Amino acid sequence: MANRVQIRTNSSAFIAMIADEDTITGFLLAGVGNVDLRRKTNYLIVDSKTTMKQIEEAFKEFTTREDIAIVLISQYVANKIRFLVDSYNKPIPAILEIPSKDHPYDPAHDSVLSRVKYLFSTESVASGRR
Amino acid sequence: MESSKNGRESNEEISEKDENILSFLDSMDTYLTLMDSLSSTLRQGWLELASARHSMGASRINSTLLDLKFHRASTTLQVNEQSAGPDRELPHFTLRKWASSNNPEKNFEEAKFGEDELLKIKSNSLRRRDTSQSSEIQARSPESVGTPVSVDDLAQRERSKSLSMFGTLVSPKLRASQVSFETGTVATLFI
Repeated sequence: MANRVQIRTNSSAFIAMIADEDTITGFLLAGVGNVDLRRKTNYLIVDSKTTMKQIEEAFKEFTTREDIAIVLISQYVANKIRFLVDSYNKPIPAILEIPSKDHPYDPAHDSVLSRVKYLFSTESVASGRR
Repeated sequence: MESSKNGRESNEEISEKDENILSFLDSMDTYLTLMDSLSSTLRQGWLELASARHSMGASRINSTLLDLKFHRASTTLQVNEQSAGPDRELPHFTLRKWASSNNPEKNFEEAKFGEDELLKIKSNSLRRRDTSQSSEIQARSPESVGTPVSVDDLAQRERSKSLSMFGTLVSPKLRASQVSFETGTVATLFI
């Protein structure tokens, strides 16, 4: 019971996005975009001028906001902040790595599959048996 | 006697563990299939967006036109807890598509997703590769006399509002791209 993870319930949560311009534009067309009174958005457009610090700050902001339930992040952007993405372990907001226009989905870099691979690795199995 | 009893018990434990592993591997297979489906949906969306940009002009479809005035998202999520055992809870997502910006709590299409329900639906839906139709999408109207048509009208209105940031007259390819990304949004919920 002490280790039970609390699910944060919300009646109206948003989907945040950290991706390239076309992906963000597309999801905004699908009605996912939100701008609050302080002109804070639930998305970050990543281009050649976006710094790693900006991406890290956006990721930290979206994963700590209480009104966000899912964070969509392009896989190539997630690779830039892999240490942050892999160390994230809360259920909400859920992180989903999506492909981008110029970088197709690579299962080798997917954080979910990396954890599965580790679970089934010989080292993991051996340490479980000891 | 005792050793055979212990043997039976350990066989049961092993078969239970095998079942869990098989179930887990099935989930991973489902995950990969859904990711593949999402990739192809997004690819279609990007292609349609590029076609719209080609016909309308690059200056009419770019990030500088994105609306930075205060507005609520038309598509939101409701997050609830779903019990999955005595010490375990899973998040349960409900997608609300095209809620009216005037009345965000009313008049929306609702798709309910729970992880366990998805896994049951997926085993049928994936064989047909038709994730959009397998979801439990229900059109809901708060008025008891309201008809599904009124919800569709409101959804259409919200869709037009989203498109309006790129002008009044937009290419059909842009509308098609909107539909593709809508499907992509639903697909991310499945994943």
